[in-house]
Amino acid sequence: MRGRTGLAFAIAAVILLYPLWGLVAPVGPWQWHDSHIGSALATSFSLTGLALVLVVLAGTPLAWSLRTAPEPLRSAFEAVVLLSVLMPPLALGLLLILAFGPDTPLGGALLRLGLPTSNSPTAFVATQIYASFGYYLLAATAAFEGVPPELEQSGALLGLTTFAVFRRITLPLARLGLAAATSIAWVRALGEFGAIMVTSYYPHGMPVQLWVNLQDQGLPAVLPLLVVFLLSALPLPWAFHFFSRKRRRA
Amino acid sequence: MLECSLIKTRPDFVINVEFSVGSSRLGLFGPSGSGKSTLLSCLAGLEIPDSGYIRWNGQSWFPPPLPLHRRSLGYLTQRERLFPHLSVAENVLFALNAATRRRQEAWVQEIQSQLRLKALWDRAPRELSGGQTRRVALARALCRKPGLVLLDEPFAGLDRPLVRELIAIIKLWQEELGFTLLAVDHDPVVLEALCPDVIAIEKGQVIQRGSWQELATRPASPTLRGLLDKI
Repeated sequence: MRGRTGLAFAIAAVILLYPLWGLVAPVGPWQWHDSHIGSALATSFSLTGLALVLVVLAGTPLAWSLRTAPEPLRSAFEAVVLLSVLMPPLALGLLLILAFGPDTPLGGALLRLGLPTSNSPTAFVATQIYASFGYYLLAATAAFEGVPPELEQSGALLGLTTFAVFRRITLPLARLGLAAATSIAWVRALGEFGAIMVTSYYPHGMPVQLWVNLQDQGLPAVLPLLVVFLLSALPLPWAFHFFSRKRRRA
Repeated sequence: MLECSLIKTRPDFVINVEFSVGSSRLGLFGPSGSGKSTLLSCLAGLEIPDSGYIRWNGQSWFPPPLPLHRRSLGYLTQRERLFPHLSVAENVLFALNAATRRRQEAWVQEIQSQLRLKALWDRAPRELSGGQTRRVALARALCRKPGLVLLDEPFAGLDRPLVRELIAIIKLWQEELGFTLLAVDHDPVVLEALCPDVIAIEKGQVIQRGSWQELATRPASPTLRGLLDKI
């Protein structure tokens, strides 16, 4: 039984990893110098980091409140969140530019405030927030729902204010689920291409730079960027994953 | 002094009780499903009465409902769970801030020693047996010296020697600290050992109040007589 399970895992792993075989494809010498790795990496990590902080800061209290929100308010709000999650990335980008573009009243007002809504860091961060917020919210709500309400009740009966209960009971007990939610939001925002392509072609983040390199220079300029992208983006979700596994076993 | 007059509608009957109790131990006794646990729940603030009042030493707890954290309360049930992410020590000292911990060092040591918690102090809740968990939960509920202690069948499922030990400790501390104790237990023997006075409740109504002796000699209903036969 154990041998069969191991074999099934091995087959699935090979299937999932097989695309990486493409990295050794004979595409010619890799172009490290003209790949714009540094600038794309800096853009992606700094702006995605900012987007992630905003998503977590806004999404965590909202997810916490959503757990105890009365019906039908909760169902209605979840329907809205699901809509944002199910939106195809390209469609999201088009809708964002139609709603926030510089020619719209809102986009014009933001532009006058010094916040251009296309081809700018503001547009980049805003698009990533739209792309990842729903995922974070759903996963964080599930994490909070895993905390037994009677433990929070015990905390209140022991004299803790609502905020203290959140800080000393809810948050520590939900931390693994919140780590997973953060990890999902990070991956979703960092890898966003379709929507970013429409709203913020400039500055080039990693996914757009991959596309540009493919168009301008071909695969030899894409593969080095891809390797750096994977090596730099994966440690965070891997760390969250292994940390949570370890804590669950402890 | 706890003063309360409560009306709370339940699916099968209406709880309508009025009583007051000072610094003593009072048992709530009656058949299963007579509203005793709901009454404790209302006093703790976990359920909201339909009408009436709850006053603790002149402070109104209802109406309007006073937030749970502002009630000087220790509440212990048979379903009590410890905080799984904290050690036994952190669970027991949960309600005390650093300054209070320093001030109450002698009290914490007494809790440790009376409830035999020293050997368990650094353990995680998942490493404890049922009886040990209940001892830690009792310590946690009483550590901050609440004015009102509510016990809802806290000894269910424990063996007799441990129940006797816990009852002796609770009685000792109630006399030392002077808190008001309200206890519910399905076992009249346990309740009699813990509380000298008792309120008998049937279908949400107080049918009798007095000492166990008075209840045993002149029970107010045949149901009560049947339950008291166990003593």
